Formats: sequence, structure tokens, C-alpha cells
Amino acid sequence: MNSRRQPRRRHPLVVGVVVLGAAVVAGLAAGGVRLSLADLWSGQGPAGEAARLIVTLRAPRVALAALVGASLGLAGAAMQALLKNPLADPFLLGTSGGAAAGAALAALAGASPLLSPGAAFAGAVASSLGVAGLARRGGRLDLQRLLLAGLVANAFFSAVLLCVFSVASAGAARTMLCWMMGSLSDASFGRLAALLPYAVAGVAVLVFYAARLNLLAVGEENAAALGVDTESAKRNVFLAASMLTGAAVAFAGIIGFVGLLVPHAARALAGADHRRLLPLSALAGAALLVAADALARSAFAPAELPIGAVTAAVGAPLFAWMLLREP
Amino acid sequence: MSPDRGRGNPQLEARGLRAGYGRAEALRGLDASVHAGEIVAILGENGSGKSTFLKVVARILSPSGGQVLLDGEPLPSLPRRHTARRVAYLPQSVDLVFPILALDLVLQGRAPHARGFSADAPEDRARALEAMRACDVEDLAERDASALSGGETRRVFLARALAQEAEIWLLDEPTAGLDPRHRLEFLEVLRRNHRDRGGTVLLVTHEIDLAAELADRVLLLRHGRAIAAGAPGDTLTRENLRRAFDVEFRIENSRFEIAGLSNPPGSPA
Repeated sequence: MNSRRQPRRRHPLVVGVVVLGAAVVAGLAAGGVRLSLADLWSGQGPAGEAARLIVTLRAPRVALAALVGASLGLAGAAMQALLKNPLADPFLLGTSGGAAAGAALAALAGASPLLSPGAAFAGAVASSLGVAGLARRGGRLDLQRLLLAGLVANAFFSAVLLCVFSVASAGAARTMLCWMMGSLSDASFGRLAALLPYAVAGVAVLVFYAARLNLLAVGEENAAALGVDTESAKRNVFLAASMLTGAAVAFAGIIGFVGLLVPHAARALAGADHRRLLPLSALAGAALLVAADALARSAFAPAELPIGAVTAAVGAPLFAWMLLREP
Repeated sequence: MSPDRGRGNPQLEARGLRAGYGRAEALRGLDASVHAGEIVAILGENGSGKSTFLKVVARILSPSGGQVLLDGEPLPSLPRRHTARRVAYLPQSVDLVFPILALDLVLQGRAPHARGFSADAPEDRARALEAMRACDVEDLAERDASALSGGETRRVFLARALAQEAEIWLLDEPTAGLDPRHRLEFLEVLRRNHRDRGGTVLLVTHEIDLAAELADRVLLLRHGRAIAAGAPGDTLTRENLRRAFDVEFRIENSRFEIAGLSNPPGSPA
């Protein structure tokens, strides 16, 4: 999908912050017990006391949704620029497959759910390094091969997953399935603290490369001719985006569509300059996932929808609408 | 300009240069030298290594053997940004996937001069706009670069080379696929800017007439090596052209007319 228009909103980042703020308030208010804005604001009286208690319970979940959404949005924007492909998605290059296989193997070995972020992250890292290794050719990271190696890795890990499913107990299989549909229900401040360093490191690397990504998005030769060390840029952007994706997937499962849709929407709002596009993608990803999680918790409360199903259900029509709007 | 006037050391020199894509080597021991201020036309059949040579000089490709010297210093010993400030590469075409304004494409030429490659300080914009004016593309500044015609795109990239303040311009078949008007407009803009600013031009082309008319020196390549180099009048001879292209030419008053294949298919080898 090629957006040929050149939208130039003045303050897209301000819009992003406001939308994220609104999503956070909605995320804190929504759920099995609905809170009014007045209760949230005052915190006085019995209703206010209850509100404060519920907010402390919901806060880590909202924060995890924001952090995971920001990571996926940012990783998606970086992957699209790196691969020079607006249809690229952070899950395309084998990271999610590796994470799923890691989590499944850990669940099969009877590991407690608390251990599986580590296993999933290890799977994601191993898969990403393997994909990068397969894509190397004559000392260069070949982007065409990177794409193919990602497909190979995802195919292989889905085979591993099917095998694990066929031998796993019903309970273990259900846990795995829930993880694969994406879930933020295990959110805690401890998990947030574990995710934060990876997210911060990934963001720092990608922001550092934002201006180089502008040159890379026109083409690898373009960037090289303008003095960019393209090999280290490609490697570091790929590893940073993979680490962001791996950490997000490890703590929240596979949440589709965020990494594909968010960079598109951000580009339509702010143009394709990655110095603005990357922060806006992070903000928009955070806002989308916080809102989607609020919807997942409140639509059929007290039952909870899998967040991955919500993002796809909301994201697919939105994406279709953006396609139709293309001139 | 006379090719034998007393000249100092070459600005650009290839020594036994080998390079290519994967296992296929397009350059197989190229020796060539270029002096500051020259317009050098590089001619040769498809696959003879012309574009590969430009890409090695632009540091898009790393050589697999031999070396390129810039003012006597081997390219790998110089920081990439340092050479990017001196050498501009104008691609034949560019496949734009994401929207980008023509002005932003020209502004990218300022990237090697800017901290962290983020060039959009007011003086960068002023320089980019001035470069676009010099190439008659100022009106296109706010247009999406992917919507430009081939001739407009080439002039936008020439403007970018000016904004880059590069002293060596590498042009890969800049007139290929242009209609007569856009071709003339491009050449006029190129001539004018070369006259006003000086600088060295390496121009890959299949237009022998253009090489004869525009270039101070001609470099003829075949199978990744130089088979002749020198002033157009001395280099573009029937014998040299036959060796380069396996084609017979009739040459009259610096007009080159193709007479036929040297070894037509079906003839005894």
C-alpha cells in the first residue's frame, strides 16, 4: 500500500500523546466494574476508595498494554523501513515463531507460567539470530534473504508448535493457545520491570538510527552513497526491532496487526520522516493496545476476549478502510 | 581541454580493481585514472563493469580485490561520511515505496554533512532549494518524488549532488530512457552546473556521440578491464569500438553510425 499523499500535520506527536492519554483513562475505567470519571478523579468516599483500589489493580495491566503496544508499533515501523516494504510486520522475520516455540516447549516441560517469558524471549532471540545468520551472504546482510529466512523460520517453528500441541496435555495446550492469542492478564509491576530494560534499549537504538532509516527507506544503495555504514545499520536495526518484538511477545503473547497497522496510520498522519514516524508509531501502538485491552475486558465482562482477536477484529476493517481511502 | 597538458596526481585512481555481485565479477582488474575537473565518459557493452565501477567509487559496493584511491588515499581508509561529502552518486532510477517530497530527497544530500545524518537545519533547506533552482526543479520541491518523470527525477538527483557539495559526480546512464526534450534539458543543466561549479564528472553512457561531444576523456571497458582511455578523438576509433562492442562503426565528423555486427550470427567465427 503506497500512500502518495504528503500529509503534514503540524503537531502529530501532540495528537498522539492526547490520544494515548484518553486511552489510558478509558483503560483504567473500563472492565468488569465500570468506574465513572468523577470517581477516578476524586478518589473520595466509598466509591472513590473502591475506584482507587481497582485502579491500582488495573494500572500494571494498562502500563503493560502501553509498553507492548509501543514496542510493536515501533518495531513495525522500523521493519517496514528496513525491508523497504510497507507490508512488513514485526512477526514476519521469525521472531514470533521462535518465541511461540520457546514458550510451548517450556510449557511442555512443565515450567510455571512465570518462567515462560524467559523461554519465549530466548526462543525469539535464537530465532532472530538464526534468521540473521541465514540471511548473511559474503559478509553482508541480504534483505531479500532476510525475508525468506524469516518465512523459513516461521514455517519451522509452526511445525514444532504443532508437534508440541499433539503431545501436550489438554491443560497445557489451552495455556499455550491463550498465550498465542495474546494476553495481558498476567500483568504485574514485576513483569513490567522485567520488560522495561529491553523496551528502553530497543527504543534507544531505533531512535538513534531514525535519520539513517530515512535514507535506507529510499534504498540501501541510497544510504550507502550518502555515507551510512549500511551493514551495521541494517544489523542493529534488525536486532533492536527483533528484541522489542521478542520482549513484547514474551510478556503478552502474539498480538497481531498492531505492528502492521500502526506504522501505516502514523505515516498517514505525520509523513514518512522516521524522526517523527518512530515516536508517533510508539505512541499510537500504545494507545491502540490500551484501547483494545479495555475493549477486551469490558465487551463481555466478566469474560475476557483474547486481545489478539480484538486487535485483528478492529485492525482488519481499519486497514481495509485505509486501503480504500488510497487515491 | 587537452588530455596531455601537464597534470598532477590523479584525483581518482583504480588499481587492479575487482568487484561484482556474489560470485559474478563485473570488474576484473580495472586500471584507470581520473583528474580533477574532467568529464570522463565510460563506455562499454552491457556487463562490462561500467556501473559497477561507479558503485565502488560511491562505496555502494566493496571491491573484492585491488583498490580505489581518492587523492592518493585508499577508499577504505577514509570515513564513509568523509567520502560521501566529496562523491555524489546519481542512480539511473529509484524505486520509491514510501512517500517523499522532492525537496526531502534533495535534502538527503545534506545528510553526510549533518550530525547524526539529520539534515534539515534552515541553512540545509536553503542550500537544497538553491540547488533545485540551479537545476530548474525548484517548482517540484513540494511534489511527491515518486510522481516525477524520469527527466525530472534525474535533475532532482543532480540537484541533490549540488546540495551535497560533492566535487565528484557519478552519473549512471543519465540520458537513458529520456525523450528528446528531457534529454536536452538534463544535458543543459549538467553542462551549466559543471561550468559554474567545476568538479569531476564520471558518466556512464551508451551514447557514443554524447561521449565524443561532452567528455574530456573516454574510458572504454570490456570484460571488466580498460581497453582504451584518452581524448575522445584518439580513443573512439573504429578499431577500439570494434574491440569494445563487436560492432562496426562508420565515423564522420564525430558522428558515429552503426554499420553492423562485426561477427553477424551465422557467420564463421
